[in-house]
Amino acid sequence: MSVPVEPPSQGMNALRLHRQLAAIWATGPGVQRLAAVNHTVLGMRMMITSFLFFAIGGILGMLTRVQLASPHAAFMDAETYNQVFTMHGSMMLFLFAIPMVESFAVYITPKILGTRDFAFPRLTAYGYWCYLFGGTILTVALIMRVAPDGGWFMYTPLSSNVYTPGINADVWLLGVTFVEISALSLAMEITVSILKMRAPGMSLDRMPIFAWYILVTAMMMIVAFPPLILGSILLEVERAFDLPFFDPRRGGDPLLWQHLFWLFGHPDVYIIFLPMAGVLSTIIPVFARRPLVGYRVIVCAIIALAFLSFGIWVHHMFTVGIPHLALAFFSAGSAIVAVPTAIQFFAWLATLSHGRPRWDVPMLYIFGFFFVFTAGGLTGVMLAMVPFDWQAHDTYFVVAHMHYVVAGALAFPMLAAFYYWLPLLTGRTAVHRLSLPAFWLVFIGFNMTFFMMHLTGLLGMPRRVFTYRGDEGWNWLNLLSSVGGFVMTIGFALVAIDIIVQLRFGRRVRRNPWDSTTLEWAMQIPPAPYAFASLPRVGEETDGVAPGKLAVSLARGEGYLGFTRNGWQEALGVHMTSGEPEQLIVLPNATYLPLFTALVTGSAVIAMLFKFYLLALALACVTFGMFIFAGQSAGLSRDYGPLPVGRGISVPPHTEVANAPSWLALVCTLVANGTLFTSLIFGTFYLWIAAPNWPAAVTPEPSRLLALVTIAGLAVAAAAARGSLRSTTAGGKPYGWLGLTVLGLLVALAADVSLIGGVTPNPREHALGATAAALLTYVALHAGIGLLFLVSNFLRFGAGFISPRRLTDLRLSRLWIDYTVVTGIIALGLVLALPGLVAMLGARP
Amino acid sequence: MNGRPLSPRRLWWLAVGFTIWCVALVILYALHAIGCAFGWSTGPLRVSLAIVLLLHLAAIGWLWRYRAAARRDPGPEHISAFMHTVVIWTLIAALAATVITFGPALLLTTCL
Repeated sequence: MSVPVEPPSQGMNALRLHRQLAAIWATGPGVQRLAAVNHTVLGMRMMITSFLFFAIGGILGMLTRVQLASPHAAFMDAETYNQVFTMHGSMMLFLFAIPMVESFAVYITPKILGTRDFAFPRLTAYGYWCYLFGGTILTVALIMRVAPDGGWFMYTPLSSNVYTPGINADVWLLGVTFVEISALSLAMEITVSILKMRAPGMSLDRMPIFAWYILVTAMMMIVAFPPLILGSILLEVERAFDLPFFDPRRGGDPLLWQHLFWLFGHPDVYIIFLPMAGVLSTIIPVFARRPLVGYRVIVCAIIALAFLSFGIWVHHMFTVGIPHLALAFFSAGSAIVAVPTAIQFFAWLATLSHGRPRWDVPMLYIFGFFFVFTAGGLTGVMLAMVPFDWQAHDTYFVVAHMHYVVAGALAFPMLAAFYYWLPLLTGRTAVHRLSLPAFWLVFIGFNMTFFMMHLTGLLGMPRRVFTYRGDEGWNWLNLLSSVGGFVMTIGFALVAIDIIVQLRFGRRVRRNPWDSTTLEWAMQIPPAPYAFASLPRVGEETDGVAPGKLAVSLARGEGYLGFTRNGWQEALGVHMTSGEPEQLIVLPNATYLPLFTALVTGSAVIAMLFKFYLLALALACVTFGMFIFAGQSAGLSRDYGPLPVGRGISVPPHTEVANAPSWLALVCTLVANGTLFTSLIFGTFYLWIAAPNWPAAVTPEPSRLLALVTIAGLAVAAAAARGSLRSTTAGGKPYGWLGLTVLGLLVALAADVSLIGGVTPNPREHALGATAAALLTYVALHAGIGLLFLVSNFLRFGAGFISPRRLTDLRLSRLWIDYTVVTGIIALGLVLALPGLVAMLGARP
Repeated sequence: MNGRPLSPRRLWWLAVGFTIWCVALVILYALHAIGCAFGWSTGPLRVSLAIVLLLHLAAIGWLWRYRAAARRDPGPEHISAFMHTVVIWTLIAALAATVITFGPALLLTTCL
């Protein structure tokens, strides 16, 4: 990184404030860098890491193009090719696309919202390390030639133990799930931070459109990832312990995997597209030199797109044998999803046509995006039509469409964003002599590579073949595709060189070089670790004030929190809709804990991979223990009451308010968790209605008594959790109530485990028993985690972190236990209903 | 600031229209699967699906009417006007999506 271009020179106050804040917020040198929790540092690291995986994934893509450039190529054998194309897809989707858009969100969002950091910096760090370690596991597997080889969507039964007996599929299931934990934790972090940590006065209608996009995307991730996490867990359990969720011989169904995968997979396309659309909605008005046309309509379109994208997963499964009427739901949904996308397109075009556009490198990439994404969108509407899809399914036409919508929608806006925000990151501007040829090489190479695939697909070339005969008429198209691939790679290499050259030799720029109106330019560039020396007030008084002018005032400490106190990392928590300040959020300082916790989590994954299951269980327990340990130092150990935050306002610290960020974070966690639970319920009903070989030879006979004891134990725990809250509010000590809560959970846990032990039919013999065991294990796991919450409550009450005014810990425990009671009743009710459901199957014709 | 801030609970309204769309999808898909699996005859199955669709359309339509009658959300003018517009238009969009996605499909052969 280069040194700051514009060190605060507006007088001694600004300089002194900069030094004081930097001493608190800066990440230490040397090995202390591993303790970083700052969003600027982590966002940058995540960006660099995602680009390293992009480079690896890109090389793998090039290897496939070398193999397919000519018929009968001996460059790779079939086995190697399978690993290469599987890892190309998996890396690009899971290790590049999602983390890259998240890295943008992590780096830019707090700055564009006018705040200093995210709500849970240690979670950001944990998310980063999980991502790095998960990606490393996959990469090492590739080097060791034991990489996944069943396609990036890991369809069963190919990925089952019978057809993939090695660890290849386990690497995918465990590695990708590990990375998804990271993505999910970051999504929760982003959601809470956007809703609670904006600049004072930034009401929702004043929020930059980029933040709306990121907020909706993060919420989509919270709901989209759990079905795949569940699917991965069930498939791994099938592979490791022989529970036949996907084995049709024993009451399972391979199509259940496809449903769970695409419940994630389709929204994932929009999870990648929406942040990039946010980039476009941010950049286009700047270059058009006028405000974005249709702010409110775009917000409506984003919401519509988010929901519609969840309702069309079956269009990836048009050929599996679903009745026409049901297919028509998904076909129509797939077609109308183009409408909210088109609304955004027209808003961008209207902004350009009503403005005074100027051309620069980011605009070139925006032009590239318009071209590529329109083409991809049109083929998407073609594929939404069932008869066409039946013809084109599993051909290179789909590969072409996918690259146009996913790669095109990602790569071009991403590079536009890079060239737009690089001056913020580096304080320097691009070298045009390299940027322009780089764009044209990427653009021409991209279209040359992927347009040809439409044609090979229409000529019948199937996906995933490692070679072809040569008499099919595909030869010259494949050769052109491969040449195009190399042209595109040279373009990306030029982009990389351009960025390196810019870092070293780029011309230094003034603050806000594009004359933007968003707050990330109202700071020193490159940004200081605290981002804003004081926080801006957003409102009519600042409308139209140039970020550069605002930056001077903020650097002098004339906004909120323009001072230091107790060595705290301070930010403001605001009312969700109005943006008015309502709490002082004291953020944790740099710590190695996220790194160590991620290392232990990674070790658990590796132990699982090598089938050391007891060790994996022990390491998972250590991970949970480390979370409790991390919680011990969170918050403040005494009451402070309202504290001044500047501009004549005082607000209480986040520990003394009811709506602290951690409360909202747990709500988000439970939404994700609830989605996973709903997917499990869906899976149970799906197998009941669709799987072959039902009913089982043995009828299920769950013990009603044990089920009632489990529910009674959970109900007692929920009531006692309320008692502990009441007791503490009244100034008493809640130890008795906490003890009763523990007792209730232990009774529920013991009864539930007994139920699992007595599940019939044997979970290894039939999916009926396996699903019952999965439902009961879900309840046991939640009761167990509830116990961890209570251990934390005991410890923190003893250490003085809980008081009549600081009740967040107890409220969180109550919420968790309430959730456990509700899901427990549903899960146990379903297990008890299974004999009846099985009996109903006898009435089928 | 003028008046009390808009309650965060009002944000749920942004999701209401399309949540009903999602619920309609899940119920229609599940009911259709159950009907086909248990061999329901075409008439009753089609009628049940149509009733489910009409109930969801009625729910979104009623919400649209209810919100339109309210004219604006409580709270400061800017944010309440913004919320009102966005909620109304998401409800209209959800209504249109429900009609287009599920309506014509019900005319097809049920379990082919």
